Amino acid sequence: MATPAERQKSNQLGPEFQYDLTELRKVDPGLVHYEQSARVATGMQEPRGIAVAADGRVLVAGDTLVRAFDGAGKAVAEFVAPRPPQAIAVGPGGTIFVAAKDRVETFDAAGKRLAAWEPLGEKAYLTSIAAGEKDVFAADAGGRCVLRYDPSGRVVTRIAGKVDEKGAGGFLIPSPYFDVALGPDAALWIVNPGMRRVECYTYDGQFERAWGKASPRIEGFCGCCNPVHIALMADGSLVTSEKGLARVKVYRPSGMLASVVAPPSAFAEGTAGLDLAVDAAGRILVLDPRERAVRMFVRKKA
Amino acid sequence: MSEPENAKVKRRDLIRKGALATGLLGVGGTAALLATRAGKDRYVWQLDPEKCIQCGNCATKCVLRPSAVKVVHAFALCGYCDLCFGYFPPHFEPDSAIEEPAAESQLCPTQAINRKWVEGPHFEYTIDEDLCIGCGKCVKGCGNFGNGSLFLQTRHNRCVNCNECAIAIACPAQAWRRVPAGHPYLLKGEDRQT
Repeated sequence: MATPAERQKSNQLGPEFQYDLTELRKVDPGLVHYEQSARVATGMQEPRGIAVAADGRVLVAGDTLVRAFDGAGKAVAEFVAPRPPQAIAVGPGGTIFVAAKDRVETFDAAGKRLAAWEPLGEKAYLTSIAAGEKDVFAADAGGRCVLRYDPSGRVVTRIAGKVDEKGAGGFLIPSPYFDVALGPDAALWIVNPGMRRVECYTYDGQFERAWGKASPRIEGFCGCCNPVHIALMADGSLVTSEKGLARVKVYRPSGMLASVVAPPSAFAEGTAGLDLAVDAAGRILVLDPRERAVRMFVRKKA
Repeated sequence: MSEPENAKVKRRDLIRKGALATGLLGVGGTAALLATRAGKDRYVWQLDPEKCIQCGNCATKCVLRPSAVKVVHAFALCGYCDLCFGYFPPHFEPDSAIEEPAAESQLCPTQAINRKWVEGPHFEYTIDEDLCIGCGKCVKGCGNFGNGSLFLQTRHNRCVNCNECAIAIACPAQAWRRVPAGHPYLLKGEDRQT
């Protein structure tokens, strides 16, 4: 295989024909406040979702199973998911919620299957799930909505996003990335990727606020549709991951950039779909599908 | 959802399906012509978009000028984005998401991609094959940031079907292969047959 330099030389095209992200991949090192502390191989071909349980176990969903790791990264349990999992969440009581393409399935902490909720139809494409005390939220990229479930699996509300008086707006989902996460104070955070922003709603779907700007600069979200995943920190700050220019950042709840966790140089070119979780110790867990590994980032010591 | 929203979705789907059908008519017509002209057991050269690395050789190694390789668009895969990074350069920063960009704001050095507003923040992107030289720069942008709906194919209404394809010889990814003349395209998404 020819190197990029050899290819460029051999194709005899001028510089205006070259596609180069080198400059955009550079990040001010002073903004990178985190460093990788550990890397855990998932042993999966296609890891897709990550969550942290209240007992500290890290759960990774992918292929056709869910695998649990202890805080040190040792695999301690696994169970089969009847349908290929797209996303995973763990409720405060320990119930594990796995989103397959068109339905949510629940398991107890030991991996025993509890229930499969009603299928959502052919158009459904679940991409994310978040679980609170009494509510479960699933993001349906196919239906362009977030479904609010009660604990029995009944759909209580379909949140279609902020729509103006002309009926325009809502969630724009150009590619199959649509994430939802729960924050402190009953804040429901939903990514609106086609608008390059995150939006905050009440649990019953009332729009509260949004932030985010389309920009290749480090403080913005680059590309057609970003961020692809979010996770909440204990203080309400949001961790975001992007595709195209793969990077992981932390924003304050107001939307101000606080830190870069991992710059583009930390990822192989073409990396996409970096799912995120935060554990009780404040470690940021990045599920890297290219490396098929969980990469753990901690704040650098001053 | 209110009535206008439903109408919007239908219109967008109609446009998408219409554009796809138009594209397939062209491809199908060429396939039928090739099958007749070349005979049923004849083979032609084609680029596998799943192996293509957009090295640029397609633009310069073809015996034709401009190359018979062009960008084609799988509309069914396209997100119809306002900020298409197959159309805009990666450093593009909009003042307004739906502003109409100047020519110098476009990624394509030959301005071979046309952008047309559909509705809301949705735009349709089509290729002017007379301007496209097959460099694959837009394919890189679309693949990096978007759904990879833009990809390169040799257009058989232009290709002279050399015995030994000069591009295939130069291809560092071994992405070229012979395909039946009756099915001369290797498409992406739901249109892919092989």
